[in-house]
Amino acid sequence: MQTTQRPAASEAVVRSRKKRELVKNLVAYSFIAPNFVGFAVFTLVPMVMAVALAFLSWDGSNNNPITFAGFQNFIDLFQDPKFTQALVNTVAYAVITVPLTMAASLGLAILLNQKIHARNFFRTMMFFPYVASMVAVTAVWNMLFNPSMGPVNMILSGLGVENLPRWSADPNWFICMGTVILFSIWKFMGYYMIIYLAGLQGVNPDLYEAAALDGANPWQKFWYVTMPQLRPTTFFVTVMLTIQCFKVYDIFLMITNFGPGGKTRVLVGNIYEAAFTSRNFGYASAMAMVLFILVLIVTLIQFRGESSMKE
Amino acid sequence: MKKMLKRTLSLMLALLMVAGLAACGNNAEQTSNPPAANSQPAENNNNNNNNDNQQSAGEEVTLKWAVWDINLTTYYQPLIDAYVADHPNVKIEMVDLGSSDYQNALITQLTGNADLDVVCVKDIPGYANLVKGGYLSDLSGAGIDSSLYGGTIEQITVDGKFYALPFRSDHWVVYYNKALFDAAGVDYPTNDMTIAEYDALARQVTSGTGAGKVYGSHFHTWRSAPSLFAVLDGQHTVVDGSYDFMKSTYEWVLAEQNDGICQDYGTLKATQTHYSGVFFNQQCAMMNMGSWFIPTQIEKVKSGESLATNWGIVKYPHPEGVAAGTTLGTITSVAVNAASAKQDAALDFVKFVGGEQGAEIIAKTGTFPAIKSDAVLDELAKMDGFPTDEASKEALSTTQVYLEMPMHDKAADIEGVLNEAHDGIMTGAMTIDEGIQKMNNEVSALLG
Repeated sequence: MQTTQRPAASEAVVRSRKKRELVKNLVAYSFIAPNFVGFAVFTLVPMVMAVALAFLSWDGSNNNPITFAGFQNFIDLFQDPKFTQALVNTVAYAVITVPLTMAASLGLAILLNQKIHARNFFRTMMFFPYVASMVAVTAVWNMLFNPSMGPVNMILSGLGVENLPRWSADPNWFICMGTVILFSIWKFMGYYMIIYLAGLQGVNPDLYEAAALDGANPWQKFWYVTMPQLRPTTFFVTVMLTIQCFKVYDIFLMITNFGPGGKTRVLVGNIYEAAFTSRNFGYASAMAMVLFILVLIVTLIQFRGESSMKE
Repeated sequence: MKKMLKRTLSLMLALLMVAGLAACGNNAEQTSNPPAANSQPAENNNNNNNNDNQQSAGEEVTLKWAVWDINLTTYYQPLIDAYVADHPNVKIEMVDLGSSDYQNALITQLTGNADLDVVCVKDIPGYANLVKGGYLSDLSGAGIDSSLYGGTIEQITVDGKFYALPFRSDHWVVYYNKALFDAAGVDYPTNDMTIAEYDALARQVTSGTGAGKVYGSHFHTWRSAPSLFAVLDGQHTVVDGSYDFMKSTYEWVLAEQNDGICQDYGTLKATQTHYSGVFFNQQCAMMNMGSWFIPTQIEKVKSGESLATNWGIVKYPHPEGVAAGTTLGTITSVAVNAASAKQDAALDFVKFVGGEQGAEIIAKTGTFPAIKSDAVLDELAKMDGFPTDEASKEALSTTQVYLEMPMHDKAADIEGVLNEAHDGIMTGAMTIDEGIQKMNNEVSALLG
């Protein structure tokens, strides 16, 4: 008898535990449901559809049929000189902007982590560009860098510089691209400075003391204490900055308008043009997929690098 | 156990997503209905006739009209008021889709089956996209007299059909500042000027340096402002696929820029300088621009914002051997949404707005209607603040008007290529030959 009762009892226990856990989980899921349903409807579904669209040909009209294009959109992409140019520009922009912004924000963070006079004022000033409206600050920037009568060129001309750069309208790729990169660094360094500041404040002061006892100079302290301690922050900053740089659109639109003569076209600009000017949604989605895969690969490499450094 | 639970829950979440997708699928099915209705115009018309019968019985009809800038546009409300006075059973509601991205907003609304009956069409590339997408009803059988429209309807006809009725039509003229000409002791421009004469005049009247410099001419940053002088001989269009004919035009414009006769393109673009400010502040003696600028200039002279108080207009400069009054033009049109259930009521309103009655109402607000009868031109020249000299009045009439962008189903794409090459040439990022090569190659690729 006993032998037959025992499993039944344990089964009941298991069942009630199972039920309790289910209820607990359902409660938890119900809490995330509002957010998740919103995400699913407005982000996930459109994303999945965009993937599908990359293999279709559609002009966005209800009245014209959607046709299957297979890999044709992707084949066309790599034969399109505008796409290759945009790809090169986007990668170049990211490769130059990411390290420079990181260096600038880390430098600022270290500077403003010192006990200097009016520290909070300077921190706010540095953070300001990030908060300011993109349209407003690009307008100011365009005035500063006006090729004919901008203050920057006036100063340069006062210093005796000949052949003044024409900044955003300069035919030289390095100068028009450089103008945008300079703007991006100025605009975003404040934000990443705050993140680095938080990281710096998390560094245990004992470590500096120990390093000082060992006779480390400031450079060694920075290199052997600060940098390793900031590694998680640096990792976060790199990933965020990289993604941001690959997605860039508004800065180029406002400063160079992808000019002069299309020299500074970037991927997202091409995607917009393909979708909303040419009304070629399949092609635009294919480009978006390439951008997505690009960002994914870069981020995976960064994750890989981070975990191998940990080991 | 936990695994099982997780599996069940993820299954539930997956189901939720599928349900979401299915919901979208339903939507897709719904949205695919209009083409079916469209492919059976006869049936559609029958329905509409029924509709119309009901309407004539005095049933209330509300038409929704997609427009932009309600607050800045002076003629929408007078048009509606006049129409409703004759059709008391009709109510017209405007839907403002904003100016800057109007065509995209409109096409998105129409794809989403928005409740719109009448739509404004802003430009030719936008019109081409709407026609390609099958969004507009065919108006060619609606009894419209196309001879009233100065050849514009013919220019938007595709395969014998047209889908929109022009109600505004502007053409390009030269605005000039009489005070600056007087100060320089140079004769005013005339209604019969060749491009070479225009160039010579601009060089004569240029004076000064620095902030007080007066430029002889002003080319706005739009591609149309300088480059379309090249199409005035009627030999070429910008959708040909071959652009070598533009070389000489770019040469003289760049020469003016290099010689400081007009302002530098790169600077104007970087500062996003509006052409009106340049004319208001007497920075240029002459400026080629569309007739849409006339009411603005009149208004700003009155408000004191425009310092160019002594001004006039003359006909557009033309190439050697071409008749004076040959110029560029743009049209704004109204059309009927093909998916609207109130086709007949909508068509009636469209014919009113684009027709002779509508033209007179539009002209009264100082705007150029598409139908330019003598009465309309008189009305425009009578505007309070319009220059009183005879030449300015004469400049309102045209001989031949070429659309800035001719109708072509790849118009939007071609425009993109041309704008980019123009930007390259004008900033010096490309030589003229390189720019033209780029246009030739890329447009030929588009045309296939």
